[in-house]
Amino acid sequence: MLSVISYPVFGFSVIVALVLSISLFPVGWFEFRPEWLGLMVFYWTFRAPAQFGILLAWCLGLLLDVLEATPLGVNALAMALIAFLVLTIHQRLRMFPLPQQCLMVFLLLGINQMLVHFIKQLLGADNVGFGYLWPALTSALIWPLVCVVLDNLNRKLG
Amino acid sequence: MDGRSLIKTIFVQGPIPALRLFLALVLSTALIVLDTRFEKMETVRSVLGTGLAPVVWLGNAPGELTGWVAGLFTSRDDLSEINDALEARLLILERRAMKYAALAQENNELRRHLNAARAVDDRVVLAEIVGVSPDPFSHEVIIDKGSRNGVSVGQAILDADGLMGQIRQTSSFTSRVLLISDSSHAVPVEVNRNGLRAVLLGTGESDRLELVHVPDTADIREGDMLISSGLGGRFPRGYPVAEVVSIGKEPGAPFMSIEAKPKASLNQSHMVLVVFRQQADPEDVEDPVDDQPEAGELP
Repeated sequence: MLSVISYPVFGFSVIVALVLSISLFPVGWFEFRPEWLGLMVFYWTFRAPAQFGILLAWCLGLLLDVLEATPLGVNALAMALIAFLVLTIHQRLRMFPLPQQCLMVFLLLGINQMLVHFIKQLLGADNVGFGYLWPALTSALIWPLVCVVLDNLNRKLG
Repeated sequence: MDGRSLIKTIFVQGPIPALRLFLALVLSTALIVLDTRFEKMETVRSVLGTGLAPVVWLGNAPGELTGWVAGLFTSRDDLSEINDALEARLLILERRAMKYAALAQENNELRRHLNAARAVDDRVVLAEIVGVSPDPFSHEVIIDKGSRNGVSVGQAILDADGLMGQIRQTSSFTSRVLLISDSSHAVPVEVNRNGLRAVLLGTGESDRLELVHVPDTADIREGDMLISSGLGGRFPRGYPVAEVVSIGKEPGAPFMSIEAKPKASLNQSHMVLVVFRQQADPEDVEDPVDDQPEAGELP
């Protein structure tokens, strides 16, 4: 449970997430790249639901749309949805042990990816099967690490 | 911390979240419709894109750094070897270019006799690929020339061996290139051997393209070269696009299923050429490179 949050850490983590979501990943492993920005939205709305909410998540998603050249608003809506779902469950989420939190990360980011691909297909993209769920899985696996690092940074600098 | 702020971290304040989600939904829907159906958001996108340029630069820095480090450890012998190979290649290509200039001259002479319009050379600008699309399901690359260099949407991109794709979006400093292997891409092509026209579709795999709507009786063979036909006005005519690798004829089906392999090395090229049509004003183009010497420059 965090009692303090640090805004510089927030800004820094978002920039790092944006950089990571476009930085070169080994070719062939591309589809396994974690959804970094989704993880950040999850973390910050989970830790500080009073300060970070749906509209901020929406703005961050808009930045991701520009970086990924998807139609403006697609990722924004999906990020807002993550923030909303975290806001509705964050009181229970705090009680969950870590493995169960990871499961929630997988579920929420899976919903996020599903929404993104649903809208993209409405707009004419190809059906890619269930391959789009990989980022949700890798994000869930990396969640404990992200959580510990950001918690420590918050404690030191907050 | 006092009790009040503890309460604040546990219970969300302000308007109920559902209301905000609804607001986000309305905003997003409006944006998506404006962006995809009416293309009104290009200015917003390019402003945000220019603001995010440092992020893009940082994102691609690891690749450049490894390139730089690899450069540090290349031995002098290797470099001189590469240099020799390049010089030899340059000599061969220059000889071909010399011959080409004479042929182009002759061709224009013949066209003049036929009262046809004079064929003009396209001008090209060298660009470097600085990034690939973060979306694994789309085939896009980012090049380091943008609207400041006169690049505009729809221009064709070549590498040393053939057509690579077209410009899809520009911002001030960079542009996004949609590759011909993207599943939403199509190029009008013709068979170099006999001028048979068809449309070449991307499949989403970088080494396989699909030639569609070719009748069962059409004259096409494995190994045929497909060149851009220039129909549709988007791609310039006459650049190699792909080579036919397999032809499947099914009895009863009206069309053949034909697979082709792109000539350009779509996921290996580092330097690419942006083609400027001659009617576009080439003066505002930075360091234009003529891809062929004019007839007058012949020794």
